[in-house]
Amino acid sequence: MILLQNLTKIVRSGTEDLTILDDVTVEIPDGQFVALTGASGSGKSTLLGLIAGLDAPSSGTIIVDGDDVTAMNEDALAELRSRKIGFVFQSFHLIPSLTAFENILIPMEILGVRDARERAELLLADVDLANRGHHYPTELSGGEQQRVAIARAFANQPSILLADEPTGNLDSRNGEHIFELMTDLHSARKVTLVLVTHDGQLASQAERQIVLRDGRVISDELSLRTAETMGI
Amino acid sequence: MTLLVRSFRRMRFIFNLTRREIRSSWRRLLFFFLCIALGVGSVVALRSLIQNLTRSVGTDARALMTADIELSSTADFSPSEISKIEGVLSLTETVEARNEAITTSAMASPADASNLSTRLVELKGIEPPFPLVGEFEMADNTGFDFALLENNGAVVAKILLEDLNVKVGDKIRIGEAEFQIRGVFEQEPGGTSGFRLGARVFVAKTAFETAGITRNSSRVRRSILYRTSDNPTELVRLLRESLTGTTVAVRSYRETQENISEQFARTENYLSLTGLLILVLGGVGVWNVARAFVEQKRKSVAVLKCLGASGTRIITVYMLQILTLGLVGSIFGVLMAQGGLWLVRWRFAEALPEKMTYSVNLWTASQGVLLGVAISLLFSALPLLQVRNIKPRLLLRDENNVNLRKLDLTKWIFGTLSLAGLLALAVWQAGSLVVGAFFLVGLAAASAVLYLAAMALTFLLRRLKVLGSFSLRQAVNSLYRPGNQTRIILLAVGLGAFVVLAVQSLQTNLVREFDFTRNQRLPSLFFVDIQKSQIDELVSNIQERIGEKAEATPTVRARISHVNGQAFDFQQRAVRQQQGQIGREFAVTYRPELDANETVLDGEWWSDAEAAVPQVSVEEEMAGRLKVGVGDSITFDISGRKITAQVANIRKLDLRNTRTAFIFVFRPGLLDNAPQTFAATVLSRVPPTERQRLQRDMIGKFPNIQIFDVADIVAALQKLINNFVLAISFVGSFVILSGILILIGSIALTKSQRIYENAILKTMGAKRQTLAAILFAEYGMLGLLAGLIGSSFAVLLSWAVSRFILEIDWVFDPVLLAVGIGATAVIVVLVGCLASFDILFRKPMGTLRSQ
Repeated sequence: MILLQNLTKIVRSGTEDLTILDDVTVEIPDGQFVALTGASGSGKSTLLGLIAGLDAPSSGTIIVDGDDVTAMNEDALAELRSRKIGFVFQSFHLIPSLTAFENILIPMEILGVRDARERAELLLADVDLANRGHHYPTELSGGEQQRVAIARAFANQPSILLADEPTGNLDSRNGEHIFELMTDLHSARKVTLVLVTHDGQLASQAERQIVLRDGRVISDELSLRTAETMGI
Repeated sequence: MTLLVRSFRRMRFIFNLTRREIRSSWRRLLFFFLCIALGVGSVVALRSLIQNLTRSVGTDARALMTADIELSSTADFSPSEISKIEGVLSLTETVEARNEAITTSAMASPADASNLSTRLVELKGIEPPFPLVGEFEMADNTGFDFALLENNGAVVAKILLEDLNVKVGDKIRIGEAEFQIRGVFEQEPGGTSGFRLGARVFVAKTAFETAGITRNSSRVRRSILYRTSDNPTELVRLLRESLTGTTVAVRSYRETQENISEQFARTENYLSLTGLLILVLGGVGVWNVARAFVEQKRKSVAVLKCLGASGTRIITVYMLQILTLGLVGSIFGVLMAQGGLWLVRWRFAEALPEKMTYSVNLWTASQGVLLGVAISLLFSALPLLQVRNIKPRLLLRDENNVNLRKLDLTKWIFGTLSLAGLLALAVWQAGSLVVGAFFLVGLAAASAVLYLAAMALTFLLRRLKVLGSFSLRQAVNSLYRPGNQTRIILLAVGLGAFVVLAVQSLQTNLVREFDFTRNQRLPSLFFVDIQKSQIDELVSNIQERIGEKAEATPTVRARISHVNGQAFDFQQRAVRQQQGQIGREFAVTYRPELDANETVLDGEWWSDAEAAVPQVSVEEEMAGRLKVGVGDSITFDISGRKITAQVANIRKLDLRNTRTAFIFVFRPGLLDNAPQTFAATVLSRVPPTERQRLQRDMIGKFPNIQIFDVADIVAALQKLINNFVLAISFVGSFVILSGILILIGSIALTKSQRIYENAILKTMGAKRQTLAAILFAEYGMLGLLAGLIGSSFAVLLSWAVSRFILEIDWVFDPVLLAVGIGATAVIVVLVGCLASFDILFRKPMGTLRSQ
């Protein structure tokens, strides 16, 4: 479960303070697929970064699986990400000096997983790149790079997958493929999926849609299907 | 157990990532590698060179003396001295063999009257068994046989055959006798070391006496030599004790070796510091590369942190990478040092001892590797600490890296530790805390001055608003782009130019100083050992031949026996080390007037009035060495007679304008009737053939005299200076190379920014030609500024060293300055343009898209 309470993020821009997130309170139960939408600059990516502990809020608390993320130091946050959180970025952010296979291997090696190589092979196969493992990121297409990034995000079997516009840099065909891959993995592995997207069509497929504007939650709705399933 | 396994697996992450990073980044870190290799190469090559030299000379010290103990005197050994020596030797059974030798310098000329050559030679009269230690290396590979010297035979150094234009079997005249050349040696026992006025000639000791040279020459040195079966130190001590108060000098080969070793150890430490300077410059390169590396790795670091790696683990990965590269670079440096030594053998072997080896020794190589790794770590620690400040959030929104360079407590601590580490390395290399600290402070001061000059110049350049050309304006702007490397390049390249140009400027001035066509009072010919009865005839003969009345000066041989009633205690090491300067025999003179090249510093020059006590004038440096002032007394031993004189004044000698230089000058009266010879000097610049003919004729008439041809001596000195300059320039070129590596590293550091700027300029319509002009102008300006800074400080240093240390005339050389600035600019433009050339050909779209 992810619990965000009265979350505010203020950054300094030149001589002025800029409020990116303003008193956001959200609760995401385990295994839910949440779409985070809103205009550019509404605070979506910042919110995602705060959940992952990539940045600290100005005030408020973030609880992930019972742990207060805001009270953790850098190393504890790194450990938390390593064990529980997978992250997929819009611009992939693969390490250019490592092959696709090694990029997937890295999170497992950081955690000290025993059968890391075998698992990396399986993950590569899961994203249909079994024969491209030895390629460097620059030798892969955008769609392939993002598939590697997804495989990397799932490497340590996280309970939470955070995706920041994962299809934003891809054409529609590749975009769809990536989306499907993520939702399939979400269903198969029962992970909580928080997806930041501009794409209304993609967002509509989520179980829940949260809309942000100027750092505030202006809408938080369950999809019809989810409401029905939950008997609401 | 599980915890242990997990820790091991986590360590595996560090090793795996290090291995992968090296695999992918080695090209980018090549400069890092080269900087370290060059630095370690310099340290190891310089240290090995001097160690090998020490070893070859050190092992020769015994052979050089041809014995274990040498007793020597400029007078015949008196019966009382002989009995004292025998008294001591009778107490020991370690003496295995004994012989006697006489040495002096003498004039040699071919017996064939049609051959006009004449040369000063170093004559040595020997008796069997000779040598007691060491061996001759004969030109025809046969061994030396004393029979070669019997019945007026001579064995000569190979060079003499060329000097006199003679061959084996020919006869040469030395003194009143003729000797037949029966053998030629390549190497005498112990080899030739140091500066020699003439070629060595060996004759039998008995023939030496009959040649009449010992009768007149005042520079004859008689020696008794012993070979011992045991350490001779104790025996030497006993001999010294028993011979106290006599003029007999006692030496053991061990002391010679000790002195040489000490001298070489000092040289080794200074050379190591030069090597360390190059290594520190390499360190600056490492620092630059490490900064560029962290800058380029920002995103990867953020990704790793996002994936759960802690800052410490990531720093460990990069540290390991640096350590590995430092290690491999250092090992490569050792290989380079070996290559350098082979280069030295190829280029300088003639000037170095024949037995010298040219391989790097293992201990020095290990030291070099340790130094290289230490410098790698010291200089990359601070840049790598920036990894801590990289936040994973930069993956979400790109932030500039302002906070990366922020100084915090940890960086202060590491900065201080790095400085302490550097000091420790400097002290280790210099072998002295004071010298090491001075080195570091000196380096910091020189860098600060160069850095300030660079700041001032770039500040002025920025004020130049009237630049008409777009390329030039853009180039000036480039020198100010954020994260620019302008000052660091100016510092590094300026330092290289500074070292090389300072040496060149000093050489020009030194060579000019010894150019005797400029020094009007430097004699061209110097006649010595002229008997009182011969002087008038010699002077008039010279006047007839060249029209100049030679200046004649009476000289008396004297040795200091007591200072203020105290004899020198040569048992003391500090005194013994000065033995060469204070214990030797001096040529002293007497005259009523002060010479034109002399000034009285303390006391007064004597007047015509009668003095109550004998008086002497002492040269400034000697007064310091003897610790005497006006009113003190010095007792001299002149031909066995003790004469005490009061120091009347302390004199300064202007060696730049000298004709004769006497350390001690007596007031007339006391020495007028002492046994004396005369020296005569000729100033006229006589052509070489005429000079040889004159020497030949004078030797013919006065066989006992000796003539120094100053031109020959000057030529030999110039050769020494040239070798010295070549050696320093060789080291200086390494400094320049380090500067170039730093330049290349700095270019790499700002390359991504330059690529981006060029892409934007291209999008706005700038042609490749314009971009090339900007590049050229930027590096041209950098080169000119670096050259200007380096050359200016080189001129300043050369002036200071000439004026205050060497005390020679200094002349400003505008050509050298111009060439220095020009050459530096050309090098910087070449390196800069070559390293950035590919940027011009990049397509702007790809660059802009990837930003």
